[in-house]
Amino acid sequence: MRVKTSRFGEVELSQDDILEFSEGLLGFGQLRRFIVLDDPNDEIFAWLQSCENPDIAFPILEPELFAGSYAIEIPRSDLEALHLDAQKDGRLFNIITIPKDPTQMTANMKAPILINVKKRLARQCVLQDNSLQIREPIFIKLQQRVVQNPETRFKPDAVAIGAVPVKRAPEAEM
Amino acid sequence: MLVLTRKLGESITIDDNIKIRVEKIRGKQVRLGIEAPKETRIYREEVYNAIKEQNEESSQTNPDLARAAAKLLKTEKK
Repeated sequence: MRVKTSRFGEVELSQDDILEFSEGLLGFGQLRRFIVLDDPNDEIFAWLQSCENPDIAFPILEPELFAGSYAIEIPRSDLEALHLDAQKDGRLFNIITIPKDPTQMTANMKAPILINVKKRLARQCVLQDNSLQIREPIFIKLQQRVVQNPETRFKPDAVAIGAVPVKRAPEAEM
Repeated sequence: MLVLTRKLGESITIDDNIKIRVEKIRGKQVRLGIEAPKETRIYREEVYNAIKEQNEESSQTNPDLARAAAKLLKTEKK
């Protein structure tokens, strides 16, 4: 099947690539079906793209890239909704906000996305811990990690997560 | 909006399965106890709004900006 996206054109994918957010994301409750996109022009960010609204896509990152000590407890009810026995059986991502000045980029630590990769279920989990920031500055930590590990691949393995590659946009070549 | 007056220890019920009770009143703070089915999502309003706002902002990210940010991240700090 094909999904239209405003950023990456038409994307070819199979039904199995789709992640079901049974309750949507906060503020986007009506959007239930998303895919993870892999942009070959970008070595860091993965995208969580809506299958139902071409304009809606979120840059996402795995927290270990910038928050080594991100010890959170996902509520039992969230794990049950995702059919996960334990938090470690899921893949965790944070939604990133990138302003015009990218050094001011932030991650939402308070409401991460947890994915049951096998069952293709996903959820934005709001954590009770009030020390977690909704806009945690991450640029410096992320840059340290990236610069110190020049050979590492930072994006999630596309096959492991079920990410769909998008075509390389020649005009975006940098 | 429906406005009800409740005393300490009194409750309101919503539908058959949601109960909100005034647990404690101290100065300007009220502590509420909420019983609801586990799939009911309950948030402090300011937290809900802040997350929603962050989601909305992130959902409009330009991919060129992300690519530029990714490139900048790979550049050693001077």
